[in-house]
Amino acid sequence: MVVTFGYKQRNSLVETFDPRARWIFSILSLFTIVNFWDIRFLLYFLLISVVQYSFTRLTWKETKRAWRFIFFLMFIMIFVNTIVTSAGTISDVTANPHVLFAIEKPIRFTMTIERLWFALTQVVRVLSITMLFIVVPFTMDPRQYGITFKGMGLGDKLAFTMDLAFRFVPTLARDFGTTMDAQKARGYELDNLKGNIFKKIARMAPIMIPVTMNSLLSGEDMVNAMDLRGFSTSGKRTWLYTLKYRKRDIALIAYSVVVLIISIILPRVFHIGGFWVPPFLIP
Amino acid sequence: MTDAQPLVVRDLSFQYTRRDTPAIQSLNFTLNPGEILLLAGSSGCGKTTLIRCINGLIPHAYSGTLQGVIEIFGKSIQEMCLAEISNEIGTVLQDPDRQIVGSFVLNEVAFGLENLGLPREEIFQRVNDVMDYLNIGFLKDRETFQLSGGEKQKVALAGVLAMRPRILLLDEPLASLDPASAREALSIFRKLADDGISIILVEHRVEDVLAIHPEQVLYLEDGKQVYYGDAPGLLECVDYSQIKLPATIVMERSRGTPMEPFTSSLQGKDGEALVEFEDVHFRYKEDLPEVLTGVNCTIHKGDIIAILGHNGAGKTTLVKHALGLLKPTSGTVRLQGADTRKSSIAQNAHTIGYVFQSPTQMLFAQTVRSELAFGPENLGHPKEQVAQDTEWAIKTVHLEEEMDMPPLALSFGQQKRVSIAAILAMRSRILMMDEPTAGQDYWNYMAFMDSILQMPGFDSILFITHDVDLAVVYANRILLVDKGKIIADGKPHEVLAEEERLNQARILPTSLLKLNLEKLPLTGRFMRAEALAQFA
Amino acid sequence: MKKGSLWSFGTRAVVYAAIGAALYGVLSWVFNFLQLPASGNVALRPAVVIPLFFGITFGPIVGFITGFLGNIIGDLLSGYGFWIWWDLGNGLIGLVAGLCAGMMVDYKRGKDILIAEIFVVLACAVGMFVASVSEMWVSGLDFATAMATTFFPAFITNIINGLILTPLLMLAYAAVRSRSGR
Repeated sequence: MVVTFGYKQRNSLVETFDPRARWIFSILSLFTIVNFWDIRFLLYFLLISVVQYSFTRLTWKETKRAWRFIFFLMFIMIFVNTIVTSAGTISDVTANPHVLFAIEKPIRFTMTIERLWFALTQVVRVLSITMLFIVVPFTMDPRQYGITFKGMGLGDKLAFTMDLAFRFVPTLARDFGTTMDAQKARGYELDNLKGNIFKKIARMAPIMIPVTMNSLLSGEDMVNAMDLRGFSTSGKRTWLYTLKYRKRDIALIAYSVVVLIISIILPRVFHIGGFWVPPFLIP
Repeated sequence: MTDAQPLVVRDLSFQYTRRDTPAIQSLNFTLNPGEILLLAGSSGCGKTTLIRCINGLIPHAYSGTLQGVIEIFGKSIQEMCLAEISNEIGTVLQDPDRQIVGSFVLNEVAFGLENLGLPREEIFQRVNDVMDYLNIGFLKDRETFQLSGGEKQKVALAGVLAMRPRILLLDEPLASLDPASAREALSIFRKLADDGISIILVEHRVEDVLAIHPEQVLYLEDGKQVYYGDAPGLLECVDYSQIKLPATIVMERSRGTPMEPFTSSLQGKDGEALVEFEDVHFRYKEDLPEVLTGVNCTIHKGDIIAILGHNGAGKTTLVKHALGLLKPTSGTVRLQGADTRKSSIAQNAHTIGYVFQSPTQMLFAQTVRSELAFGPENLGHPKEQVAQDTEWAIKTVHLEEEMDMPPLALSFGQQKRVSIAAILAMRSRILMMDEPTAGQDYWNYMAFMDSILQMPGFDSILFITHDVDLAVVYANRILLVDKGKIIADGKPHEVLAEEERLNQARILPTSLLKLNLEKLPLTGRFMRAEALAQFA
Repeated sequence: MKKGSLWSFGTRAVVYAAIGAALYGVLSWVFNFLQLPASGNVALRPAVVIPLFFGITFGPIVGFITGFLGNIIGDLLSGYGFWIWWDLGNGLIGLVAGLCAGMMVDYKRGKDILIAEIFVVLACAVGMFVASVSEMWVSGLDFATAMATTFFPAFITNIINGLILTPLLMLAYAAVRSRSGR
């Protein structure tokens, strides 16, 4: 098994920002977006996500798998939410319904303008969030995760855990492939599992056990090797690479904070940003 | 302080809390500046425990009862914490894959220095210095995962040396290296010692280590010190069936009781074609270079084939094609006349039994018995036959008593034998083994190689190995692989006699090979040193 | 085996958290990739045993990181983007399972396995519930939809895979541990 991370250097505008600033921006944006149900605001955030996306130089080939996954999930969730169940997390949706059409058979079902508009709003909202994050694997260097989160206040040991995890990924992928091959050589066939679901799961043991136990055994040596090179000492640790905020990073963080604050104040104090249906749609 | 000896060990004993017997008992030795001490003995003799006592893992990470004295430059290590000890003593563990912590070479070498909290400039300086010293500066920006075994070892060593220890402990550093890389590593160790670092080198490849003239040798058996002195003295006293010694010494010493030359139940005489490779090319991905670059060869009934070549030459890739685990990018592999592209691996497994290198990557069952039954049951063998075949397989590797133990609770050497038995029980016609002797004691692997090769039932046996002597003793045909091609194919005394071709494949002639070539006019075939004694 | 407090984070924890996360990530990815057959509503998702087992064996912190970081890595490898509330849910699976780490004495004893299995159920319930409820908050689903489309499928799948594979790994680990000198 050969592992490839989606990351590669793209020399895009997005990559010129400090990864910490980008994380802060992405996470604060998430918390901002969830405060709104007004499609006018949500369209703004969708626009921001689209702008970020377009600056990453991502190709369709790289992301189509992710998009397929997202559209599938979104379809299931929104279809069920709008059609099958009541569609009512927001009381405004069901408060003064304007019936679009109603049927009696095979089940009694009423479609309202509000429901349909709510589904559209949901699509915009979910898209703006997923699009915000879909760029992460392709534009953030996995080797910088450790120092990034160290720079965001995580302790040395936790930050190093991230680096170490990425170090193990290719090794474990290779080991998985080896175990797979070794068991195939013993006549084991993963794509030809027999029996009910319980038997099928139990038949995963010949793969799961060696891979896991082998990794635990190598862990023993790794612990020793790290302690012997002074890892357990409680003194201050130097990180070989450092990150530095530039003006644009500060600006990005400042923007994220301001928008978050606005998003908290607007709905609560001024009652703006809640569910909104364009007046011209309502008869 | 400067006058004190780097390391003094007096009356050292240790017993792990969970064990009933001491792992090491009353050891006494000293290490002088710039000296190499070879620490030898079979698995379970206490080598690893002694290393742990010296580098402080005992008692800091492993609990038990420690008695006696260990002094580093005149200071008892009981007064030192792990960090202080690691400033003086650097340890390189057996498997570099299990000690490299960085995704990139630079990070890996800098790791210890980062932990010490040194200023960044100094870290970069030291890292550059040590990489220049080991001539690996060009690796700096490479991913550690992509390195070859020899490169990994050097990177791991660099990471330890960057901390500037005055004593170096090397725990079986040659285990995962091919002979050429091993020789290079050994010459680095010698250079380090000559530059003033004191080294303890744990290794059971005694013969190889003798080439760099260790000043002292400590030989352990069952945790006890059997021999302590200079290298020549060791050759006179240890049991040569336990530890592999230079062939000339073995021949001399076994003169009184020479052994019969080994004969296998298989006799290579151009029998029926079992596996055919026809202009096989292979690459993992389109944008990667070819691993196999045109292989043509046929495995016949009666062949005992040793595949030799350095790491990365394509040996394992070649063998995986026979079973169909990999399919050729172009060309054809036929197993008993059938294209491997058209049959499933499970079907092919009826014909070929393939033992992988590492047993821990395949053992999973609750008992040895069910582990051995796994393969035959997958192949759909009837119950009574499975029971019979597992019994027979376990006897072959001498592990009858462990039949109801969980395989994962056995020692590494035993696990390896279980993994071989698991394939034997499938009763395939052809047996293929990848590095069958890796991690095994000399006595053990010679014993099971003897019994496997004398065992009736196989039409052909093939093994991949770094150990030229294994090929010398057991093979009747040798394939020399280099850069994805078979560069020589023939009888051992034909293939191994051509020094130039061996150089090309980066294979080093061993003392046993040299002795056999010398005696060939008398013997007419290759054999082990004990058998050569008849012709001495 | 040296046992510190349930919540301590030393070299051992760093290493096993990193291994757990990498293993969970890699296995999630390969099993996504291999597209194993599902039976009815239950998918074959053996990878979920990793945060459960690492939690039970090494405690709640290692369990949490295994689930949280492992899910991130799995999504990175699969190219699925970044879903922090699902990462959190997976982290909680490991964390809740890890709460029983202190009660484990002998991994092959019936009593210990039973305790572990109870925590497997709790862990899957808590983890997947939190993730599903977050989905309500993010995507604006109502409770019934969240339960039907996210909680139950994920919970049932995880729990069946977890209940079957956890004891198997515990028994294997009991054997491995009898070899180690710690």
